[in-house]
Amino acid sequence: MNEGDEDFVFYGTPIEREEEMSRRKRKAVGDAGQMRSLPVWKQEVTDEEGRRRFHGAFTGGFSAGYYNTVGSKEGWTPQTFTSSRKNRAEVKKQSVYSFLDDDEKVEMGGHGLETSSQFDTFGFTAAEVARKQAEKDQKMRPSAIPGPVPDEIVLPAANSIGVKLLMKMGWRHGHSIKNSHSGKLYDARREARKAFLALTGNNGTSDVVEDDPGAVKSVDIFEIHKDTPVFVLEPKKDLHGLGFDPFKNAPEFRDRKAAMVFGSKAQGTKRGLFTTNSGKAAPGFGIGALEESGVEDEDIFSSGFEFEEPYVEEEPMETLRTKQDSKLRLTDKEHGVLVGFRLATDVDYFIERFPPPAIPGEFRPYHKFLTPLQAPWKTDDMPPPPEAPPPEEKDQRILIEGFAALVSRCGKIYEDLSQEKNKTNPLFSFLRGGNGYDFYVRKLWEEQQKRPHQRLIPAPASSAQKLTAEARGRILGEKPLKRTEETTTPVQLQYHLADSFTMPSSLAGVPESEKPFRDDPLKQARFEQFIKDKYEGGLRSISSSVVGSMSEAERARERLDFEAAAEALSQGKNKRSSSTLVPPVAAMQFVSSGTKEENAAAVAEKKKEKNYPKREEFQWRPAPILCKRFDLIDPFMGKPPPPPRARSKVETLIIMPEILKSKLQEAAADAAPSQPSDLQEPDTAVTERPVDLYKAIFSDDEEDGEEGEKKALDSSATIAESKAGANSTLNKLIAGDFLQSLGQELGLAVPDHPSVPVSRKPSGIGDPTKLVESSSKGKSAQQNATDQAIDRRRASDGYDSENSHSDTDSGSHSDSGSKRKKKHSKQHSSHRSRSHSKHHERRKRSPSRRSRSRERSRSHRRRH
Amino acid sequence: MGSSSGLPTKESNVLQGHEGAVLAVRFNGDGNYCLSCGKDRTLRLWNPHRGIHIKTYKSHGREVRDVHVTSDNAKLCSCGGDRQIFYWDVATGRVIRKFRGHDSEVNSVKFNEYGAVVVSAGYDRSVRAWDCRSQSTEPIQIVDTFLDSVMSIWLTKTEIIAASVDGTVRTFDIRAGRELVDDLGHPVNCISMSNDGNCVLAGCLDSTLRLLDRTTGELLQVYKGHTCKSFKMDCCLTNTDAHVAGGSEDGYMFFWDLVDASIVAKFRAHTSVVTSVAYHPKDSCMLTSSVDGSVRVWKP
Repeated sequence: MNEGDEDFVFYGTPIEREEEMSRRKRKAVGDAGQMRSLPVWKQEVTDEEGRRRFHGAFTGGFSAGYYNTVGSKEGWTPQTFTSSRKNRAEVKKQSVYSFLDDDEKVEMGGHGLETSSQFDTFGFTAAEVARKQAEKDQKMRPSAIPGPVPDEIVLPAANSIGVKLLMKMGWRHGHSIKNSHSGKLYDARREARKAFLALTGNNGTSDVVEDDPGAVKSVDIFEIHKDTPVFVLEPKKDLHGLGFDPFKNAPEFRDRKAAMVFGSKAQGTKRGLFTTNSGKAAPGFGIGALEESGVEDEDIFSSGFEFEEPYVEEEPMETLRTKQDSKLRLTDKEHGVLVGFRLATDVDYFIERFPPPAIPGEFRPYHKFLTPLQAPWKTDDMPPPPEAPPPEEKDQRILIEGFAALVSRCGKIYEDLSQEKNKTNPLFSFLRGGNGYDFYVRKLWEEQQKRPHQRLIPAPASSAQKLTAEARGRILGEKPLKRTEETTTPVQLQYHLADSFTMPSSLAGVPESEKPFRDDPLKQARFEQFIKDKYEGGLRSISSSVVGSMSEAERARERLDFEAAAEALSQGKNKRSSSTLVPPVAAMQFVSSGTKEENAAAVAEKKKEKNYPKREEFQWRPAPILCKRFDLIDPFMGKPPPPPRARSKVETLIIMPEILKSKLQEAAADAAPSQPSDLQEPDTAVTERPVDLYKAIFSDDEEDGEEGEKKALDSSATIAESKAGANSTLNKLIAGDFLQSLGQELGLAVPDHPSVPVSRKPSGIGDPTKLVESSSKGKSAQQNATDQAIDRRRASDGYDSENSHSDTDSGSHSDSGSKRKKKHSKQHSSHRSRSHSKHHERRKRSPSRRSRSRERSRSHRRRH
Repeated sequence: MGSSSGLPTKESNVLQGHEGAVLAVRFNGDGNYCLSCGKDRTLRLWNPHRGIHIKTYKSHGREVRDVHVTSDNAKLCSCGGDRQIFYWDVATGRVIRKFRGHDSEVNSVKFNEYGAVVVSAGYDRSVRAWDCRSQSTEPIQIVDTFLDSVMSIWLTKTEIIAASVDGTVRTFDIRAGRELVDDLGHPVNCISMSNDGNCVLAGCLDSTLRLLDRTTGELLQVYKGHTCKSFKMDCCLTNTDAHVAGGSEDGYMFFWDLVDASIVAKFRAHTSVVTSVAYHPKDSCMLTSSVDGSVRVWKP
């Protein structure tokens, strides 16, 4: 450009008044075209204040770069999308503002035009500002009323200066500002002009005059003009946002729109202002909105963008959509189809639904036995059946023996049920008068004779609420009398077999000598209850009602005491059985009842006093600074912090044994009569170790199992030395399996396996009873029950298949038994492998099973 | 009573001044002065031998339950219903620091031997140790193994002994890093140590004082006869460890023989509950305080 264009000559630097020249204005001046038109080297870089930048000319650096371009040195900051589980990427909403420079944002200002508050005649801006202020205040201070203060309440007094002035001049809200005289004058002038124009004969301007709204309305001078309507009652009919006016900048379209709305017929003939062939129009300037756009200047500034003409499409789109919407809404309600989706005509996926089974009206949800569980069993007046020779087959004999024991123990119902169950089983032919019937009858009789009071297991239902003599005695505070001991004959194997179904009742009524808490009757009562619960498999929590006055910790302690005492009792039981004839000395207390009562109270008191004070010791970690302040050396210096001390009751239970162990052992020693234990003495019943629930839960079962296995190996090795012993063991096991399976099938609780008679085995192996016990060791009674159920199920499976096998080769008797055994064991192993994969934990729990089957196969091999 | 000849059974002085119940009275280290505190939210320093009121310390917002003074008589600590422990300067009577942290009323407070740590026991079932040497007002140790309100605390050179309503007397051995829990089976109201440091006297809420052997936790003797069922009351051993002194809710004072637990002296000391008993470290001199608002000095 030539220099001559800049014709001003300045002397000195012109002083600009900042307030006069607003930033925006300056910028506009700078940008408007002047800068753009200049060549690059003439263009001036200005900062956001509008001052010239010197590109680091004075600071000694090159700072051209990003000034006046984008907001950062890097230009558009490249961004990578990162989103991790912890740092979720936010969904960024991009708006125009995210692409604008700072100065451009400033230029955009408050998102649009505003009236400055000074000239805010009608107070809209003031209201807006006040609202914003209130919002800001709201954020600053927490108020009692949550949420923003409603706008209606805080509307400011928005009378601007203009309004005030007008009011003073007599103006009222809703009245036109135009005064009548001026309006009159104006009208007169216009009339004159009209007349003048009419003279010139120009028609075009007349239109303009007609369009003037003021002219039309101001007919009456005294008419009160209401040109500031307070409310615009115009229903919203479009789908635009509130306040959006699509015709804001193009009012000429409004008419068209109106025309289209009214005369929808005229839609086809697009006599429009903007009808182009292509349906698109150039967005740039240079084309008047009203110009008929020719083909040649249609797309001068086309830069690849194709703008759909918004208006032309609007109407049909809208109708189409509403139609669709209405249709969809209908279907939506009916089928639950998403918008934009259609229901498939052929569905290849069906969810099959079955109606619940119909329950017959007379169904009662408990089982009724056809025969009463405790069938009247009059054996006393029955003549003893004749002596019968046992069947030559050994298995059969054992089966019969075991069955007889079971039936005598559990009632006739077993016989009936199993008879029904094993109709086709030749092994059970003896029930139906077949092979070995006589022997069975005789055996049954023998069993019954043997055990007159143990014949009947109290059925769980019947025994539920009956007050037994013992219970009554407990209530009355009586000491249970010493029960006459049954003389146990260790020779009678079947007896023990049957006996092992429940804990021998002898333990429930502990004789005086065996009372570990003799001096504290209340505690003794609780102990007895405990023993009862324990061996009857009842829930322990029952006892909590009895000792409601005790604290949790006391109860836990007492429980531990009880378990230790129970262990001691069961260990000392064999000794007891031999020493029953000698009256226990401790029980011989001859005191008058009156003093005794008093004594008991005193003793209880004393006992309580004796219990206290109890001392426990814990680790405690003083803070290092505390040690320092006490002038002591930190005992935990340099050690890692200990785990937080157990505070829950469960944990204290776990911890307590260490503290109480010695005490418990003492108690156990006290409780057990001092008699040297004899390993050779037969331990007749399964005396379980005191069930330690917690240990069972937390200790490693696998180890136990392995130990048990090892022991089983050892013991099986020693078994080899005595064939008879092994055989009897084997037989017992078979019978046990059978009985278990039977019990399982009948759905009646049958207690644990019979123990292997220890007497048959040479002593000196750690603890031979472990062989059997290991499976049930360390578990609570309930757990035992479930374990047994599992075992039993397995056993019954094996047994069933065995039965089917034996059906096929029942003819050859000579080696069928052995074959069967082989199969049995095989069956077992295969079954085991199956169950291995299925139930992992079962395997853990039944080391005894494995050992047993192994034993079986071993002894079998030896036989051949 | 021949055996009670040396016992302080004669009233020597009455220290009047507290408005309302006096909750605790304590001798200072050498026994020349005493401090009392009460429901009137004040601490008072007295010379009990001359019966002179020396100073009043006011700053507590609620009743003051316990007070203790350092062995050098320079600092006081007090605690009470306002859940704070106040650390006072004796001479100026200003509060040097307030230790906040207890969640509820503080029952007992003691300095350690060097006056560097204040240990407090609160109704919030915790024992807290506060550092007097640093500016921090945070507890340096919190023991919260108690199951109920901690009523009384006693410090030795290496141990913190605290008694709680849960029936335990817990000994926290700082040197050994262990906690000994002696469960007495009855809520413990107060503990006091014998002068030889071998025994702990625990006042239980079943109207019984129990003497425990500290090393084994054995119950050595039980003292009965007084009433102590619902008030926080003190008990102590005499300076010679020959007798056990304890107040009763009916205003009587009891002296038991330490060994055979017989009541050797019993007299009416106050008209109302004897809240606190303090024994002179060297002489046969005893202080008692009561709900009736008086502190009495007893001498033989």
